[in-house]
Amino acid sequence: MKIQRINDWFEKQAKWIIRFRWLIILLFTGLLVFSFNGLKKITIESSFDEYFLEDDPILVKSDEFKEIFGNDYFVAVLTECDNTFSHKSLKLIKELSQELLDSISYSDKITSLTNIEFLRGTQEGMQIEQIVPEEIPTDKTKLEEIRKKAYSKPNIAKRLVSKDGRLSWILLKLRTFPEDSIWKKDKKALAPDFLTGKQASKIISKAKYKDINPKATGMPYLSFKKQSFYSKEAKKVMLMAFFFSLFVLIFATKSFRGVVVPLVTSISSIVIIYGMLGYAGYKIDSAMMSIPILLSMAISIAYNIHLFSYFKRHFHKSGKRKEAVIESVAEMGWPILFSALTTVGALLTFLVIPVKPLQFMGFATSSCVLITFLIVIFLMPSVLSIGGDRKSEQKVDKKEGLKEKRDRWLDRQLSTLGRFVLRNPKSIIVTSIIIAVFMIAGALRVESAFDIEKTMGRQIQYIDDILDISESELGSLYSYDVMIEFPKNGDAKNPENLLKLEEYSKYAESLELTKRTTSILDIVKDLNKTLNENSEKYYTIPKDKNQVAQMLLLYENSGGTESEYWMDYDYKRLRLMVELNYFNSGEAKEELANMQSEAKKIFPNAQVTVVGNLPQFTSMMDYVVRGQVASFGIALIVIMLLLMLVFGSFKVGLVGIIPNIAPSIVVGGIMGWLDIPLDMMTATIMPMILGLAVDDTIHFINHGKLEFSRKGNYRDSILKTFKTVGVALVLSTVVIASNFLMYTTSLANQFINLGILAVAGMLSALLADLFITPILFKWCKIFGKEQN
Amino acid sequence: MRQLFIIQLLVLASLSINAQDLSGRDIMQKVKDRPDGDTRYSELVMKLINKRGRTRERKMKSYSMDIGKDKRTIMFFEYPGDVKGTGFLTWDYDKVDKDDDKWLYLPAMKKTRRISGSSAKKDYFMGSDFTYDDMGSRSVDEDTHKLLKEEILDGKKCWVIESKPKNSDEIYSKKISWIRQDCLMFVRVKYYDKMNKLHRELNISDIKKVDGFWTKGSLVMKNVQKKHSTKMFIKNPKFNVDIDKSLFSISNLEMGEF
Repeated sequence: MKIQRINDWFEKQAKWIIRFRWLIILLFTGLLVFSFNGLKKITIESSFDEYFLEDDPILVKSDEFKEIFGNDYFVAVLTECDNTFSHKSLKLIKELSQELLDSISYSDKITSLTNIEFLRGTQEGMQIEQIVPEEIPTDKTKLEEIRKKAYSKPNIAKRLVSKDGRLSWILLKLRTFPEDSIWKKDKKALAPDFLTGKQASKIISKAKYKDINPKATGMPYLSFKKQSFYSKEAKKVMLMAFFFSLFVLIFATKSFRGVVVPLVTSISSIVIIYGMLGYAGYKIDSAMMSIPILLSMAISIAYNIHLFSYFKRHFHKSGKRKEAVIESVAEMGWPILFSALTTVGALLTFLVIPVKPLQFMGFATSSCVLITFLIVIFLMPSVLSIGGDRKSEQKVDKKEGLKEKRDRWLDRQLSTLGRFVLRNPKSIIVTSIIIAVFMIAGALRVESAFDIEKTMGRQIQYIDDILDISESELGSLYSYDVMIEFPKNGDAKNPENLLKLEEYSKYAESLELTKRTTSILDIVKDLNKTLNENSEKYYTIPKDKNQVAQMLLLYENSGGTESEYWMDYDYKRLRLMVELNYFNSGEAKEELANMQSEAKKIFPNAQVTVVGNLPQFTSMMDYVVRGQVASFGIALIVIMLLLMLVFGSFKVGLVGIIPNIAPSIVVGGIMGWLDIPLDMMTATIMPMILGLAVDDTIHFINHGKLEFSRKGNYRDSILKTFKTVGVALVLSTVVIASNFLMYTTSLANQFINLGILAVAGMLSALLADLFITPILFKWCKIFGKEQN
Repeated sequence: MRQLFIIQLLVLASLSINAQDLSGRDIMQKVKDRPDGDTRYSELVMKLINKRGRTRERKMKSYSMDIGKDKRTIMFFEYPGDVKGTGFLTWDYDKVDKDDDKWLYLPAMKKTRRISGSSAKKDYFMGSDFTYDDMGSRSVDEDTHKLLKEEILDGKKCWVIESKPKNSDEIYSKKISWIRQDCLMFVRVKYYDKMNKLHRELNISDIKKVDGFWTKGSLVMKNVQKKHSTKMFIKNPKFNVDIDKSLFSISNLEMGEF
């Protein structure tokens, strides 16, 4: 493509823009006001379920599970005090249990020391009673009786109270959450899981429960806490990035317009995109919502710096405002458009990953880049063209003189660097290869993980609390459910199948990660024991089919409702819940696979499905890992094709892509060596950096080609390119990197990791462009043979 | 024809005069006192339907007898096969502060088990949406009753009565009952939870006279919050059947049927 022809086209557009500048400003303001209204309609959300696309098999399976066994989400509270069996503690546990049940909108059933189906066998029959009586006693003997009763059934005790009596566990089962379309009818309504978490959080933080030190867990609580944390954290990070950008802009432009316009550009592109997403009813994940904001802030500044510095130079030289504007658009329009297109191309590749927040990232960031480009190309010239002409360069003031001096200093340094590079090509390439090998070795160590300890970190209070709970004797966070579906109704209560379930549970319990299992077996065995004078030897599955059926009838008739969580209505399906001690992605995946294959052996005729948050985590990892590889590969190809197409050469495409692989290798290497896991946030870095880093290469090739056509000699044109675009490359990299640097001030590991990796990626891209691209230019003779 | 019309008018007028005089409690007491024989027999078919539309069916034979103000009932399961022969004996006491006695006989274990517990009356009967109270063992004075209005329901004149439990420990905060004035039978009852939201709704139909006693043929209780419902059909009802008080005993429960 002939660059001059493109530039002429941009020149025409610039004239048109100046003619209609007031209309453009008016239209822009209108669009901004309209979008601003849309901001109110944005739904921010943090639920883990929302990560999956609606037709995702894992979601379909878990929906089926929920329909049969009810909500698999729960709220649990761990209490801690010196002695749970004191009058005061029992009273507080009872009040807390009751308040959770009464005040949480979606509460279904509470299980705690003070609310439990406790079957007691007596000489003549069966007594349904509470461990703790209605009226909590104050005298020691009666409290001691309560303690003895609680520990009399080890299988109940191990779930509700710790051996030392310091900890107790309150479990609130939840009603199935309604469909989005139902709860959304009320416009002010909060998402059910968020509302549940919010209500739970409010209850446990009440001063009156301070003595039992309640800490909550469960996915709804986690969603709520995540959202509260990120809304504060994202604000903090963005404010810092804003002020930092302000500082960089003041330093780089030393002009009121030069500071205001980029800021207006970035803020308005965000308002427009988020406003439109609001109108479209898009849901935004709380952890991911700040990324498009920071990204558009960074590129707005970078694009504006390119345009503004060009304008300023010409305006000072000629003193004619409109002419300078037209000249700037003509010269800078194409490189900015092309770099915007490559960035958009790279960011759009996120759409191949079937995970909602990543698709949101792809869609939102690429739209932000496009809108930013449009604002830069239409609004900036309109604003810059307002005002009168000035006297030409001869009469620059003292300040400007200083700036010129500084720029010349930078220019000089870059020229020296250019000469250095051209003098030492071999040692540079060898060093690069050594670094690349070291980084690739690190990249091979990268582990994917959706582990809140690694991705968020214990320095965040709520994460620390949740991890404390799951490490305690009673609590857990990660779990999975196995649904076993038999061919016929009634099969599930067949003793033969129950015995198989017992064997299967034992297998599950033998696995390293398992903390405990829960199923209908606990109820059936407890019933059998209770009906046989509480004799421990009857804590077994009865052998007679009718006996199981009759016992379950008795259980139902005594008001037992717990069984419906573990055996379905048709007595066709059984549920086994496995709670885990801790989470390790590799081990978890292996154990799930083992559970599946063991199920096939034990239940050859049944259909066995594994659902729950753990399988969701593991399949999410697969999606992200595979998705990132695909997204990165596609981005590379897209950019290479664009380079080939625009520069009309296969060679240019290939040479252009090499320095852009460098940042990915560096990012991968750092992740491996610093043990940074591949998660939702870090997965976004490689394609994003690729999209941003390629801008530098485009500027370098574009100018290199122009200079080569003038000079016909690689050495001279490379040195000239270093001088003309070098400063802009360094400045734009510094701006973008410093924006990302602000992430490192966060408390959350995933933000810190994103900051470190993005900065490393941007810097390595700059280094690759300054050190490797020129050498490849010369070696590969990408613009053809030298003329002299 | 005209005479008949005048008589009907007179009857209606007398009823409305009655209604003005009667309190909610009076009506409830009248319902409780409605003659239903000293002993009765019936066959019950119970269909439990969950929100997914899955059903569980149970069939039972039931005998009951009034002893003073108290009532004794014995029931035997006929279907499904794995619970056939399971027997259930209850002694309901009219006294508010006396808990009912309940025994269940499990033929597979050849054991009778007494079921007790303070919350037993509020429990749901056999996994259905009916509580033991709904099955008729609730005493009139456990609630305060208020006559709200009169209303025509399905062409029949009804009293509409609001009943609020005296004990705050109940599962409902109030219930509103529609009682047919001609036969003193409930036709609809709405139960509200503690947040005053509709929790369950009972509709009774197929009301007819058998052996001179009013009987209900079909009861549908729907838990609108859980979307679970229970359909109960009462078949082959007989009144004043020849049974002895001694039959409502544990030894008879263990013998199976009688």
